[in-house]
Amino acid sequence: MSNFEQYYSDFYQSNYTIDNQEEGYSSYGSNENLFACSCRSPPGEQPQASAFLPSETLLSSQNYYTGQILQPTYSPNTLSYIGYGDGFDEEPPLLEELGINFDHIWQKTLTVLNPMKPADGSIMNETDLTGPMVFCLALGATLLLAGKVHFGYVYGMSAIGCLAMHALLNLMSITGVSHGCVASVLGYCLLPMVILSGSAVVFSLQGTLGTLLALLIVGWCSLSASKIFTSALAMEGQQLLIAYPCALLYGLFALLTVF
Amino acid sequence: PAASFLAEPVSSLAAAYGSSLASQGRDIVDRNIDRLVPVGRLKYYFAVDTVYVGKKLGLLVFPFMHQDWQVRYQQDAPVAPRFDVNAPDLYIPVMAFITYILVAGLALGTQNRFSPDSLGLQASSALAWLIVEVLAVLLSLYLVTVSTDLTTVDLVAFSGYKYVGMIIGLVSGLLFGKTGYYAVLGWCCFSIFVFMIRTLRLKLLSEAAAEGVLVRGARNQLRMYLTVAIAAAQPLLMYWLTWHLLR
Repeated sequence: MSNFEQYYSDFYQSNYTIDNQEEGYSSYGSNENLFACSCRSPPGEQPQASAFLPSETLLSSQNYYTGQILQPTYSPNTLSYIGYGDGFDEEPPLLEELGINFDHIWQKTLTVLNPMKPADGSIMNETDLTGPMVFCLALGATLLLAGKVHFGYVYGMSAIGCLAMHALLNLMSITGVSHGCVASVLGYCLLPMVILSGSAVVFSLQGTLGTLLALLIVGWCSLSASKIFTSALAMEGQQLLIAYPCALLYGLFALLTVF
Repeated sequence: PAASFLAEPVSSLAAAYGSSLASQGRDIVDRNIDRLVPVGRLKYYFAVDTVYVGKKLGLLVFPFMHQDWQVRYQQDAPVAPRFDVNAPDLYIPVMAFITYILVAGLALGTQNRFSPDSLGLQASSALAWLIVEVLAVLLSLYLVTVSTDLTTVDLVAFSGYKYVGMIIGLVSGLLFGKTGYYAVLGWCCFSIFVFMIRTLRLKLLSEAAAEGVLVRGARNQLRMYLTVAIAAAQPLLMYWLTWHLLR
């Protein structure tokens, strides 16, 4: 659930420099320093996130908010957010409320597909799990087309891999990462693996050509992932060191696809 | 007024309370993790970069040309591994351990002896031997009453370096058969032996003895035997943990 409020606040609050809210965010993970996303949200919606935060800060006894709840900062717009169905016209579009931003998803996909292009460090600030979920499902679907029902293995290995990479990245980098960011990057870089399993439907991968293709795809995935991680976390001289554990993880996926 | 506050955004209050519980839980976990696992100390061992890893791997396989084995210090604290190739790190041992498990699975798979259970068995037995070795070294350091600045994490790092040799031996065994395996493993065993002797000599022996001057005395002899014993345990374990994978 705490991911939920971070998610919400990441998506909507990036452009606004409301001082109270930025102080309040300083205790919630590392994403708050890197706000640079240019999401479009209508200007009337800023106070709604504060509706979620003050009560919890009262409970956690960190007085960033000095009783903002009881001040009449609520506009009619915010009430409609809380679901009282008042202003149907003022509700945001469904995709924006869900946090799915197709433009960003497409940009991130293009970054993954071109591992040689240097990545922008700020694109991974919003922990967007929609794209990764789509790619995992696509991987499972293409494996299904090849006759292997391995959904459980895909989910299990991605969960364990995310935990392990999160631990390693927190130890190796100076700024930490959140689970969501790691899961998002690893999920996006799974896209070339979907291509590999798609080609496994057409021809069998168990020869020399298949092994070479699998090695190439694993290298592509891990180079992309390490490129995004090193640019987002500002780690110099460690790209190959991050690429190696990513290659181990994607190698497991490749084993699943090939055998 | 408090009443109107409670009456209106009830659902948002519930959502906020739920999320506050979760973040409180996470705070508790973070605080307690710091007591069990000293994350700050561990970060030192992972402050590596690609150049360091390359040089260290080269040292592990060919330690004969390297002259200066002393760890450099900076105001009483050892310099990060990034800046000194002699400092121990944990990145190589952890990666080598995981790669060893994967290569063991690969070796079993090519001999059609693979099952996920056997992979778990390999992993847990390797981990158990690592723990036993570290405990044995700690016990013997305590018995010999050597005053050294070797921490437990340093010992784990040194014990983890032999996995690099094991992986190279296993891969050559898979590619070139038994002769390749024995030849490469023999070479890696010998180089790990020399590496451990040269590294531990500076940490365990007294200053004069470390520089090569023969210092007579029962204590120094005991420490010398201890260093040789620790170094000799490495090749034995390397052989023990790999020979059953290439039968």
